[in-house]
Amino acid sequence: MATRMKLKLKTVFVLYFMVSLMGLIYALMQLGQRCDCAEHDMPKDRTISRLRGELHRLQEQMRKAEPTKLPHKLAVKPAQPTIYIITPTYTRFVQKAELTRLAQTFLHVPQLHWILVEDSPHKTPLVSGFLASSGLAYTHLHTPTPRDRKLQEGDPSWLKPRGAEQRNEGLRWLREDRRGQPGADTQLGVVYFADDDNTYSLQLFEEMRGTQRVSVWPVGLVGGMRYERPVVEGGKVVRFHTGWRPSRPFPLDMAGFAVSLKLVIANQDACFDGDAPMGFLESSFLQGLVTMDELEPKAENCTKVLVWHTRTEKPKMKREEALQKQGLGSDTAVECVRQPVLHQACECQRDGVGVFFFFFFLL
Amino acid sequence: MPKRRDILAIVLIVLPWTLLITVWHQSAITPLLAARKCKDDRHESRRDSRNTFTLKEPCTSENNKDIVEVVRTEYVYSRQPPWSDVLATLHVITPTYSRPVQKAELTRLANTFLHVPNLHWILVEDSQRQTLLVTRLLQETGLNYTHLNVETPRNYKLRGDMRDPRIPRGTMQRNLALRWLRETFSPNNSNSQPGIVYFADDDNTYSLDLFEEMRSTRKVSVWPVAFVGGLRYESPKVNTLGKVYGWKTVFDPNRPFAIDMAGFAVNLRLILFKPQAYFKLRGVKGGYQESSLLRELVTLSDLEPKAANCTKVLVWHTRTEKPVLVNEGKKGFTDSNVEI
Repeated sequence: MATRMKLKLKTVFVLYFMVSLMGLIYALMQLGQRCDCAEHDMPKDRTISRLRGELHRLQEQMRKAEPTKLPHKLAVKPAQPTIYIITPTYTRFVQKAELTRLAQTFLHVPQLHWILVEDSPHKTPLVSGFLASSGLAYTHLHTPTPRDRKLQEGDPSWLKPRGAEQRNEGLRWLREDRRGQPGADTQLGVVYFADDDNTYSLQLFEEMRGTQRVSVWPVGLVGGMRYERPVVEGGKVVRFHTGWRPSRPFPLDMAGFAVSLKLVIANQDACFDGDAPMGFLESSFLQGLVTMDELEPKAENCTKVLVWHTRTEKPKMKREEALQKQGLGSDTAVECVRQPVLHQACECQRDGVGVFFFFFFLL
Repeated sequence: MPKRRDILAIVLIVLPWTLLITVWHQSAITPLLAARKCKDDRHESRRDSRNTFTLKEPCTSENNKDIVEVVRTEYVYSRQPPWSDVLATLHVITPTYSRPVQKAELTRLANTFLHVPNLHWILVEDSQRQTLLVTRLLQETGLNYTHLNVETPRNYKLRGDMRDPRIPRGTMQRNLALRWLRETFSPNNSNSQPGIVYFADDDNTYSLDLFEEMRSTRKVSVWPVAFVGGLRYESPKVNTLGKVYGWKTVFDPNRPFAIDMAGFAVNLRLILFKPQAYFKLRGVKGGYQESSLLRELVTLSDLEPKAANCTKVLVWHTRTEKPVLVNEGKKGFTDSNVEI
C-alpha cells in the first residue's frame, strides 16, 4: 500500500518537476524579448533615446566632415561620378521660389554640378545673385527660345515642347567643357534633366549615379496617372506602363531617365528636337543613343517612385470682378471685397493698382 | 531517510517556481499592464478633451532598434541637422492631409528642413489614423519630429467626403499641435528650453534665412510673404522707429493682423503663458484666422519686424497644382500598392 502510494507520488513529483522546468525555460526565453510600451521605464528610455540621438548626430557630423560640399574640383573623391543637372528656367513670379527649394534639395547631394540655363537673351540678376549665394557648384548659361516656339499667354502648357533649346545649350556647354579636359576620369559622370518645378527625393540621385548608358525609373503624377513607369522583366525593360501614347519610342518623362556623360560625349550630335510633336521630345534625344533593351532599370526594378512631376500654380495677381462673386475662397483669397458694393470695389481697384505699382518700383 | 527524500522533492518543486515567478514578473506581466494603461489613457483623453478633438497617440515601440524607443508624443532623436545647445528650438507645425501630391510636398519640405539646426517638426495629419506613408517618410528623413493626427469632422450631408467648410483647413491640426506643446513644456522651464513656434504649410517655399530670422523672436515676429492677398507680396508697415503700425495689403487691411499664416512666428514662452489662445474653429471670416490667434497673444506694438525691417521676401506662398489623373480611369490604371 505504502509503496504504491509512494510510486504514485513519485510520478506526480516527476511530472510536476518537468512541468515547472518547461515553464522556467519558457520564461527564460521571454527574457530576451522586448517589452511593449515600457511605461515603467520612461525616464530611462528618454535618456537612452537622447544619448542615442547624440551619438548619431556626432557620427553624422563626422561623416559629413569628410566629403566637402565646396564647389572645388580638387576637394573631391575621384571615384564618385559627378551628377550634372541641366535645368531650363524662365522668368515668372514663382521662379525664385522654385529655384530656392530646388537648391535646398541639391545641397544634400554630393558631387553635383548644376547647369542652369535661362530662357533669356541675357543673364538675369535674380538668377545670377541666387546662384552665387546658393552654395552649389554651378554653371549659369542662357539662350532664348525662338519666338515661334515660345508658348504665348493663354496657351496650355502642353502645346509646345519647352526647354529644348536650353537643354541643348546645356549639352553643348558640357561637351565643350569636357573637350578641354581630356582624360578618362573627367568622362565619369551622369547627366540628368531636372525641371525646376518637379520634386526630387535624395535617393534618386544615388540611384542614378551608377548609370553606364541610360538608366530609367518611374515618375509620379505624370501622364494623367499616379505614376508612369518602365515595366521590367528579368532585369530588362520590356515595355512602358503609360496611359498616353505608349507607342512612342521612349514614352518617358524628362525626369524619368539619366544618361551617362560618356554616352553624351560619344554622341556629339544627340540633342532635343524642338520641333518634335507633343510628347516626343524625350524620344528625339534618346533614339540615337540607346535601344530599349540597353536601358538600366533603377528604383528597385522600377517599382518605387522617387521623383514627382509636380507643377506650381500660377499665383493669382489680377483682380477681376468675377472673383468678387465667388465670395469666401481659400485663405489666400484675391478678392478685395466680399459684399457686392461696386463703389467700394472701384476704390479697392484703384488702391490695388497704386499699391501694385508702388511695390513694383520698390523692388 | 524518507524525510530527506521528501525534503528534496519539496525543494525540487519550489525552486523552479520561485525562479519562474521572479523572472516572469519582470518581463511578461508588465507589458500587459502597460498596454491596458495605454488604452485607459486614450479613453481618458477622449473624455476630458476640449474643442471636440481626440488625442490619438500610438502606443507601440520601435521593434527594429536595439533599445526601446517609445514613439508616443516623444521626441524621436535621430541623426540630424546639427543640434546645438545654444540655439533656440524651432517648433514647426505643419498640418497635412492625404492627396496625390502629399508625399512629394513633404519630401521637398523635409529636404528644406534638413538644413535647419535645432528644428523640431510637428506634423499633424488630418486623418483618423496615422498613415503609413507619413510615418515612414518621417522616419526616413531622420528629422526631429512629433507625429500627431486629428480628423476634421466631415460634413457627410455634402456630396462625397467633403470636410466641413466652416472650419478653415488645418485649424484643428494646428490647435492640436499647440495643445501638445502646452502639455509637453511647462512655463517654468521656459528659460532652459527656449523655443519658437512657426506654422508652416506643406506647399509653401521657405528660404533658409527665414529660420535664422525667426530664431530671435521675443514675443511675435512678422515678415513679408509672397503671393498672398493677390499681390506679389504682403508685408507689415514698419515706421522709422522699427515698430509695426499697419499692414501693406489690399485685401482687408483693417484686420487686426492682416498677415498670412507663414508670415509670423511666436515665442514658445508666450504660447505657454497664454494657454487659452487657440485658432478659432468656427465663425471665422476669410483672412481672419491668423488674427483669431494673434489677438489673444500680442498687440500691434509688440510685433517685431524681421527680414530687414520687412523689406525682404523670405517665404513664398506657393500652391501646387492638382495633378490631372484622367488616365487612371475608374478602376485605376496604375498599381495602387506603389506609393506616390
